[in-house]
Amino acid sequence: MLLEMKHITKEYGTLRANDDVDLSLREGEILAVVGENGAGKSTLMKILYGLEKPTEGDIYINGELQKFRSPHDAMAKKIGMVQQHFMLLQPCTVAENIVYGHEPKKSGIFFDRKRAAAITKELCEKYGLSIDPSLIVSNCPVGLQQRVEILKVLYQDASIIIFDEPSAVLTPQEVGELLKTIKKLASMGKSIIIITHKLSEVMEVADRVMVMRQGKRIKEMAKSETSIEELSFLMVGRHIVERKIPPQETTGTVLDVQDLVLSGSDKKNILDHFSIHVDAGEIVGIAGVSGNGQSELIECITGLTQITSGDILICGKTIVGKTVGERRTAGCACIPEDRYLWGCAKQATLTETSIMAHQREPAISRYGILNTKGIQKFTSGLLERYDVRSGGLSQKTGELSGGNLQKMIVAREIELNSNLLIAAEPTRGVDIGAMEFIHSRLLDKRAKGDAVLLISSELTEIMTLSDRIYVIYDGKVAGEFRKQDATEESLGILMMGGESNEPKAV
Amino acid sequence: MSQKLSNRRITSGLHSAWNTMRQPLIATILGLLVGAVVILACGKNPLSVYAEMFDKSFLKSYYLFSTLTRATPIILCAMATAIAWRAGYINIGVEGQMIIGAFAATVSALFIPGSPILIAIISFIIGMVAGALYALLPAVLTWKFRVSMVICTLMLDYVASYITSYFVTYPLKDVSGDGLALQTAQLDPGMWLPRLTPKNTLHFGFIIAILVVVFMVFITKKTVFGYESKMSGFNPSFARYGGTKQVKVMMITMALSGAIASLAGTVEIFGLKYRYADSMFTSTSYAWTGLMAALIANLNPVGMFFVSIFLAGLQIGGSAIQRSLGIPLEISTIIQCCITLFVSVKLVFNFIKKRKAKSTAAEKGGEKA
Amino acid sequence: MNWEYIASIVNSTLRMTTPILLAALGSAICSKVGVFNIALEAQMLIATFFSIVVNYFTRNVYLSVLAGIFSGALIGYIVAVLQVKYRAADMVIGTSMNLLVSGATSFLLYLIFGLRGKLVDSSLVSLPKINLPLIRDIPFLGRMLENLTIIDYLAYVIAILMFIYLYKTVSGFRTLSVGINKEASESLGTKALRIQMSVVTLSGALCGLGGVVLSMGQVTMFTENMTSGRGFIAMAAASLGVSHPLLTIVSSLFFGLCQSIGSALQNVIKSQLTMTLPYIATILALMLSGWRSLKSKNGRSI
Repeated sequence: MLLEMKHITKEYGTLRANDDVDLSLREGEILAVVGENGAGKSTLMKILYGLEKPTEGDIYINGELQKFRSPHDAMAKKIGMVQQHFMLLQPCTVAENIVYGHEPKKSGIFFDRKRAAAITKELCEKYGLSIDPSLIVSNCPVGLQQRVEILKVLYQDASIIIFDEPSAVLTPQEVGELLKTIKKLASMGKSIIIITHKLSEVMEVADRVMVMRQGKRIKEMAKSETSIEELSFLMVGRHIVERKIPPQETTGTVLDVQDLVLSGSDKKNILDHFSIHVDAGEIVGIAGVSGNGQSELIECITGLTQITSGDILICGKTIVGKTVGERRTAGCACIPEDRYLWGCAKQATLTETSIMAHQREPAISRYGILNTKGIQKFTSGLLERYDVRSGGLSQKTGELSGGNLQKMIVAREIELNSNLLIAAEPTRGVDIGAMEFIHSRLLDKRAKGDAVLLISSELTEIMTLSDRIYVIYDGKVAGEFRKQDATEESLGILMMGGESNEPKAV
Repeated sequence: MSQKLSNRRITSGLHSAWNTMRQPLIATILGLLVGAVVILACGKNPLSVYAEMFDKSFLKSYYLFSTLTRATPIILCAMATAIAWRAGYINIGVEGQMIIGAFAATVSALFIPGSPILIAIISFIIGMVAGALYALLPAVLTWKFRVSMVICTLMLDYVASYITSYFVTYPLKDVSGDGLALQTAQLDPGMWLPRLTPKNTLHFGFIIAILVVVFMVFITKKTVFGYESKMSGFNPSFARYGGTKQVKVMMITMALSGAIASLAGTVEIFGLKYRYADSMFTSTSYAWTGLMAALIANLNPVGMFFVSIFLAGLQIGGSAIQRSLGIPLEISTIIQCCITLFVSVKLVFNFIKKRKAKSTAAEKGGEKA
Repeated sequence: MNWEYIASIVNSTLRMTTPILLAALGSAICSKVGVFNIALEAQMLIATFFSIVVNYFTRNVYLSVLAGIFSGALIGYIVAVLQVKYRAADMVIGTSMNLLVSGATSFLLYLIFGLRGKLVDSSLVSLPKINLPLIRDIPFLGRMLENLTIIDYLAYVIAILMFIYLYKTVSGFRTLSVGINKEASESLGTKALRIQMSVVTLSGALCGLGGVVLSMGQVTMFTENMTSGRGFIAMAAASLGVSHPLLTIVSSLFFGLCQSIGSALQNVIKSQLTMTLPYIATILALMLSGWRSLKSKNGRSI
C-alpha cells in the first residue's frame, strides 16, 4: 500500500470534522472521496497535505509513519495538491508560477527566466499538456489556470496528487478534458485522490470510491460494484425526492434589459449588446462560466456600475441613471454572489446586517430616526421564519456559519417583497439542508408571481429551478432555452463559446 | 420571577459593559506599567510619582478643574476624529481643521462690528463652516481623484499651520504688547465664554463638549445616517449595495468632523486664551491626544469622553511632575501611546480567538465556503 | 537664467531628495510585500535623534550613522511585530508609533540634556562631504555636486540594488510573491510572515539612514519633530512611483525639487508661505496619479 491514513480524528472545539477515518491508496490508482459539503472530505485532505494536524491518527507512506507539520513536509514526501481555489500569482507568467519554489538559478542568486520557460515546455511535452509558458496567468481562462496548477504539482515531482473539487469551476467540456488528464496521469504511474460531490465524474474516472458523511467514513467500494443511485443515497443518508415544479403562466415583463453595453478598460465590451427579459412568475437562469460578465450584469442592474449604453427597465420604467437606493424602491432585490463582500459586514451585529436596504421602511425608521423596538422585532422575526441558527441579535455577523448567513441574506432580500429578485450563486458553499431551504424560498417567490433572475455556475441548479435559461458567453447572450429543451451538453457547448448545432429553442 | 428576570438583565448588562471596557482597562494598566519602568529608569519611585500625578490632576479641586479645562478641546477632537473614522474615512487632519476653524472664528470676532454676543455666535458659526470646508477639501479630492485621505489630511495640517503662522507673524500680529509674541489682538471681553466656577479656568466650552457627546450618541445609536455611516466604515461595498449614498456619507461625516474640530479650537480661544497665538494647537497636540482617546475608546462616544478626561489628567499631572520632580512631561505622551498600542494588540488577541471560533463554525457550515 | 543659480538649485534638490528617497524606498518595499507602513515618520525621527545622541557622546561619524540605522530598524521591527505578526490595524499602529517616537525623543532630550526644542553643539561632527577631484573643477557640474555626502550617492545605489534584487533574483521574486498572493506563496513553502517582517524592519533601517541625512547632512543638529511630515511625503513619493524603485527615484526628485524651490523662494516670498510648497505639491502629485489611474480604469464603479 502506497499511502495509508489510519484512525484519523480531527476536532475543532466540540465539532468532530473527521471521526476515526481510514483511507488507503495504491500506486497508479484513482480514488474518489465523495460526500456532501461539510462531510469532512476537505479536512481529511488538509491533514494529508500538512495544512492541519490531526487530533488523533497516523499517516503512513510505504509503511513508514509520517509527521507532517506543513505542506512543505508533505511535498517532500511527493504529495501534491491541486487546490480548489487556485494558489497562483495572477500577474506573473505561467512559467514563473510553475517553477515557484524550485526556481532555476544563474550565478547562484539570479532567477533564470529563460530556463524556467524551457523547463515548462519540457514538462508540457512529457505529460502531453499544452500551454504557452510566457502567458500571464490572469489572462488565462479558468481551465488553463487549473492546468498550471497541475503542472506545478508535476514539476514538484509529486507521485500522490490530490484534486480538491477540480470540476467546480469548469464547463462540462473542460471537465471532460480534465478527466482525460487525470486518467493519463494515473496510467503514467501517478496515484490520485479526487474529492468531489459530482457522481457522474466519479463513475467515469475512479477505480475506487470512498463515501463520507458527517465526518465518518460510511463505505468504500470498487467503482464496478456501485452505482450513482447507491452513492447518492450513501452520501445524503436518505433518498432525495425529485422536486416537482408545477408549470405556471407568466404575466407581463418585470425586468427588461435592452441592448445593454458596458465597456471595459481596453475598448473591449464586458457586456456586449446584451438583451434579456424576465417575466412575472418565472425563474430565469443565466448559465455560464464565471467571469463572462455575470457579475457586471448584476452590478449594472442593481446600479453599482453605470452602463455605457442601452436600457434597463423594471415594470416598464427605466432605471438607468437611478441610484442603488432608488432602484431598490423601484422593486429590485438582490442576493449578492459574494456574501462577505457585498452581503454583510462581518463586524456588524445581526440586527445591523439584517436591516440593510430596509432602513428607510416605516417599521424601521421614521424621519431618519431608528425605531429600536421595531428593528428588534423585525430581525427576530426574520431569524425565526428563515430558520437562521444564531447566538442572539447582538451576535457578530462574521460568527455565523456560511449556510446560516446565506439564509439570513436570502431572508432579508425576499422580505423586501420586490417585483424582481436577483439571486446570484444563492447556494454557493452551503450544506444540502440550507440549499433545499433556499431553493424552496425561490420557488415560493415565483409562486407569488414575482420575477426571479437566477445566476449560478452550478449548471444543475440552473437546470432544476429555471423556467427559461440564457447562456452568457463573453458578455453576449449565446443562446436561450426553454426548460424542457435544455440539456447539459447543449448548454455546455455554448458556455465554451461554441456554436449550437440545434436550432435556437425559443 | 420578575425580580429574577431584572436581576439577570442587570448582570447581562454588567457583563457586556465589562466586555467593552475590559480591553481599554487592561491596556491602561499595561501602559502605566511601561510608564513605571520609564520612571524607574529616570531614578524615581513610580508609585510616588503616580501618586503625585494623580493628586495634581484629579484629587485637588484646582487641578481637577484644570484637567477638565484641558479635556474640553480633547473631547471635541476625539469626537471629530471618531465621526469620520467610524465611517471609514481616516481623517488625521483634525489639527488643521481645528487651526483653520478657530483662526477664522477669531478673525471674524476681531473684525466684524456689532454686539459682542451676537458676533461671538456668528464667529462660532463662521469657524465651524471654515473647519467643515477645510475637511471637505480632502473629501472632494478623495472622491474626484482618489487621493489617499491619510496623506492628504496630514499635509493639510502643515499647510494650515504655516498659513496661520504667516498671518500672525505679519498682517494680523498684535502690536499692542511687547511685539515679541506671534499672536492676534485680544478678543472683546464681551465675547468671552462664561466661566463655570469663579475661581477656576473651567469654562462654558465644557458644556458644549458634553452637548456634542450627547449629539454623537444620538447620531450613532438612533439615526439612519449613523447606521449607514457605520456600515460604510465596516464594509463600504455592503453599504453601497444596500442603497447607501457613499459620497453623501463621506461629505456629511467629513463636514461634521471639520465643524466639530473647529469647535474644539474655538472654545479654547473664546473660553481660555482669548486670542489666536502661533502654534497654540500644535504644541499642545490636542488633536492627536483626541485621536488617541478615540482609538483607546474604540470610537465609543461616552468612552471617548472619559478617556479624554483621563488623558488630560495625565498631561496635567505630567506637567506638575515636570515642575516638581524633573521628569519630562512627555511621560504622559509615552504612556498614552503605549495604552493605544496595547489596546490595538488586545483587539488582535480577541480577533484571533474569534477567528478560531469562526473557522470552526465555517467548517460546520460547509467546506467550500 | 543664471547657470550658477540653476546649479545651486540642482545641488540643493539633490540634498533634499536623499531623505525622501530613502524613506520612499522603505515605503515602496513595504507595499511590495503588502504591508501599509505609516510609521515611516517615527522610523526617521528616532534616527535623527539617536544619531545626534551618539554623535554627541562619541564624536564618531560611523557610530552615529549606525545608531541611526539601528534605531530606525528597531522601530521598524516593533511595527512588524504588532502590525504583521499580530495583525493590528495599520492606521492605529502607525499613528501611535509616530506620536510615541515624537514624545519619546522630546522626553529623552530633556532627560539627557535638560534641553527643550533642539540640540545644537559646535563639537558635533557632520557627515564628511565629498568633492570629487576632477569633477570639482568642471564649472556647472562641480557646483551641482558640491559638498554632497556619501549617503546622497548611496541612496541611488540602494534604489538600483533594490530594483535588481526584486526583479532579477530568485529571493526577490519570492519577496514579490508575498505581496501578490500571500496564501499562494505560503502554500509553496515561502515563509511569508518572516519576509514581511524583515522587509518592514529593512524599511526602518532605510528610513533611519534617511533620518541620519536630515540630522547630520546639511545641518548637524536635532530639533523636535524635525522630520516634519517627510515620512508622509515619502509615502506619496512611493505611491507616485507605483512602488517601483527606479520610478520612485524620479518621484522623490520631484519632491526634493519642490523643497529646494520652496527654500530658494524665501528671499522673494515670506518663508511661512514657501514652507507650504512641498505639502501642497504632495497633494497635487497625488491628484495627478489618482487622475491617471482613474482614467486608465475608465471610471468603472462609482
